[in-house]
Amino acid sequence: MSKAVKIQQSTEDGLRSFFESLLQDKTVKGIFTLRKINDEGGVSYSLITDADDLKNAVPLYPQMPVNAGKVLSDFTLLEPIQEPVAAVLRPCELRAFIELVKRHHGNLDNILLISLTCGGVRSLKSLGGKNDLKDLSSYWESVSKSDLAPNNRETCQTCEQFIPQNADMVIATVGQKDMDKECTVFLTSPKGEEYAQAAPGSTVSEEMENEKTQALMDKRSEQKAKLLETFKHNQSGLKALIKTFAPCLGCHGCRQVCPICLCHLCDFDSKTLEYQPVNVRSELNQKGGLKVPPGNIFFHLGRMSHMAVSCVSCGMCSDVCPVNIPVATLFSTVGDTLEKVFEYVPGRSLEEPVPEGTFKEQEFVEIGEQ
Amino acid sequence: MTSTQKDDKTESKTGKTLPAEDGITSAIINLLKKSLAEKQVEAIMIPSKVPDTEAYTWLLLQDESLLALGNPLPPVMTVQGGKALSNVTKHGDLQEKVAAVMRPCEVQAAVELLKLKQIDLDHIYLISVDCPGAMPLRDYVNDPEKTAKAFEEAFSTWGENESVRPVCQICHQFSLPAPQQSASSDNSLPKTEANFPAADLHIGLIGGDGKNVFLIPATTKGQDLLDNLDLSAEDSMANWESKVEEIRERKLNKRKAADAEWQAKTEGVDNLTAVFDDCINCHNCQSACPVCYCQQCYFDSQLLRLSPESYLERAEKRGALRFPLDTLLFHVGRMSHMALSCVSCGACEDACPMSIPVGQVFTMMGNKTQEYFAYSPGTDRNEPLPLQIFEEDEFGEVETPREGAEAPKEEAEKNV
Amino acid sequence: MTVKKKVKSMNETQTHRPSIIGFLCTWCSYTGADLAGTARMKIPAEFKVIRVMCSGRIDPLFVLKAFLKGADGVMMMGCHPGDCHYQKGNYNARRRYVTLNNILETLGLDKDRISLWWVSASEAPRFKQVTTDFADKIKELGPNPLREEIFL
Repeated sequence: MSKAVKIQQSTEDGLRSFFESLLQDKTVKGIFTLRKINDEGGVSYSLITDADDLKNAVPLYPQMPVNAGKVLSDFTLLEPIQEPVAAVLRPCELRAFIELVKRHHGNLDNILLISLTCGGVRSLKSLGGKNDLKDLSSYWESVSKSDLAPNNRETCQTCEQFIPQNADMVIATVGQKDMDKECTVFLTSPKGEEYAQAAPGSTVSEEMENEKTQALMDKRSEQKAKLLETFKHNQSGLKALIKTFAPCLGCHGCRQVCPICLCHLCDFDSKTLEYQPVNVRSELNQKGGLKVPPGNIFFHLGRMSHMAVSCVSCGMCSDVCPVNIPVATLFSTVGDTLEKVFEYVPGRSLEEPVPEGTFKEQEFVEIGEQ
Repeated sequence: MTSTQKDDKTESKTGKTLPAEDGITSAIINLLKKSLAEKQVEAIMIPSKVPDTEAYTWLLLQDESLLALGNPLPPVMTVQGGKALSNVTKHGDLQEKVAAVMRPCEVQAAVELLKLKQIDLDHIYLISVDCPGAMPLRDYVNDPEKTAKAFEEAFSTWGENESVRPVCQICHQFSLPAPQQSASSDNSLPKTEANFPAADLHIGLIGGDGKNVFLIPATTKGQDLLDNLDLSAEDSMANWESKVEEIRERKLNKRKAADAEWQAKTEGVDNLTAVFDDCINCHNCQSACPVCYCQQCYFDSQLLRLSPESYLERAEKRGALRFPLDTLLFHVGRMSHMALSCVSCGACEDACPMSIPVGQVFTMMGNKTQEYFAYSPGTDRNEPLPLQIFEEDEFGEVETPREGAEAPKEEAEKNV
Repeated sequence: MTVKKKVKSMNETQTHRPSIIGFLCTWCSYTGADLAGTARMKIPAEFKVIRVMCSGRIDPLFVLKAFLKGADGVMMMGCHPGDCHYQKGNYNARRRYVTLNNILETLGLDKDRISLWWVSASEAPRFKQVTTDFADKIKELGPNPLREEIFL
């Protein structure tokens, strides 16, 4: 059983009331969450410091214009934030932030981490260039029924990590039938319990993981198994890989939006990997032809070797790809294998060292010795 | 046949007519095959289909059998051709003669990159082709067959097609650049030709009705290549030229209208913000842009990173602060860096995942700024970039006159 | 004959001599290889050595680049765990090899073309043994199809 606070308002209104009291009591200086930026359904992450502006806050809006973990990392890159701030982010965004903190790219100090049981986000591609508020009702209906919501990112439909583990508070959405009447926020750390005192609601005891969340877990696992089968069938082998990456423009948008890719100047943008005339000529002579720009598959495999083990499967990469390459599916699948091999779950724990650059003396002992 | 509208400096162009019984693509591919076989060039760079897919990519090839995959005018522009050519010649001359076939805006980008020292054109024969436009990349990705079919129709509706990309619909540089006075004011500059246009050789399609293509040399290099290929006798290209000018006239009017439209749509902070509301700061537009060549973009650098305190302060001043920060700064800043060289290729708009009309906005801004400097990007290799040079007496209208001195009105009027 | 056809026919000849790239650490494996060389031990392959100070210097990108350029086989070599001249480098190399191995396996590429071996400075016979074994395995796999692949 977990402690939770129940506010007798709709989930969104309840959250706004809670944020309002946090700001007015000056318990926090700002609320970092999704905010409406126009009347056409456009949203963006924002730091709200004026309680009057909270009417524009839409913390549960099923869209991820940017991975919030990456934003928080940028925010706290140079130094920790000195004043308390509350941040609402999805489980994968929180895991990404923790991965970045472990790599010394961000600081958790003074941030109240509020997450949610996550029904996923709509793919930016499905918006077709227009945000559509009407779609939301079918989304929320699916979430309350523990169904896979329509138009979600593929990585969301196969995500088994939708119950966050390192938050201070967790907003209940999955399987919640009364989100228009009730707001339930689980208090999953002492810090969360402390801040909950500002919430205009009563404390209750409930199960955060229950048969409703399990129902969604089962559907997600099933979808994941299906996807893996399709992957093995369609995207395995050299020919399939070449076909998958044939349309790649080399824009590196996938890398740009990836929360884990933190290098200020990526290897693949650096001079080291640029082709000299002698390289161009030698490949041209060797094969009779050279694709220009060269090295797309090298970029993707190389990026995998650098970060796939920490892939949080947020799906930003696929959404940003101008030619619809299923980047997230590939990276997520490879990431899953690597995570099993290294017994590592990205974002699970601050104490768990990042696999790259660390090692155990007694591991893979059979390798190299045959 | 000389047109009385032209002045003495520009004569009607001459070139060679090439029959195209099996279609335009076939005719061009065969021409390239011939130049490869006769060793006029040692390699070809041409858009090609990746086998067993619908995807196009650039191919630099020596093996003639690979030309079977080639298509000089694919339905889409994937990687911008100037950018692709820069990718393989950035660090120096390939030292092998290459014929590179691309759309006019891609040739123009290559010339701008030459001025920016990001490309080597020494052994490159730049070959441009009359371009009906390109289809939106998103459409092609979603339905390649349907989009390719729609593209075919563009060849019979020059200048009137509304399914090609918006920037293509208003593009007046779809053929050889119009003959013009070079903007470089220093007439003592030695020039190998009176007007040094971007491409070496141009392939005209307009007026050929799909049965003929026209080969028009634009530089001595291009003339030599054409002569060495030993084709038919020389022809007057006046007919093609007049048809091109007709279409160009129409497009220039459309362009003017589009400029006015986009200026209105982006006027003032509220309007400008609205246009870029959906921007997720992925910077795909900057990556796709051929002119944006910086190894690390200023807007990705550490220079814009500040302490959390300063962000919080900013947020407190306004009541709320959008993240990631500085969306408008990125776009307007990028404009200030590259608008003078914008060739309106539309690669940016194709790459945008949020369907922001960034190509159309930048085209408008490019037009405005280029007009002010009387600069035409990518059409004259000898024309220096406006920000690389200056005159001591110019743009007086933006200066405050010294005490006692009158504002240099006459000079100002000259320069506007 | 075009360049492409020449390369193809070379690869199809019965006496396929695999082209193997080896990244050898200075203190152990390179010295061991050197010793094997002075003892005139023969290896049945075109073996190209790229010397690094430590196997921990081997960026996965080196191995990937060699593999994608068409090397029939790529070997990473270093000191036995616990004997690294820089204490820990080979442990990192081991993890990087495991990463590459799993990436290639998941994507259905020829993971067996990449290998990692610990060979110490005095183990000349072991150097010959592992390289011969690996070369034999590569011969079975045949030429790397990536050698001819243009659209990578």
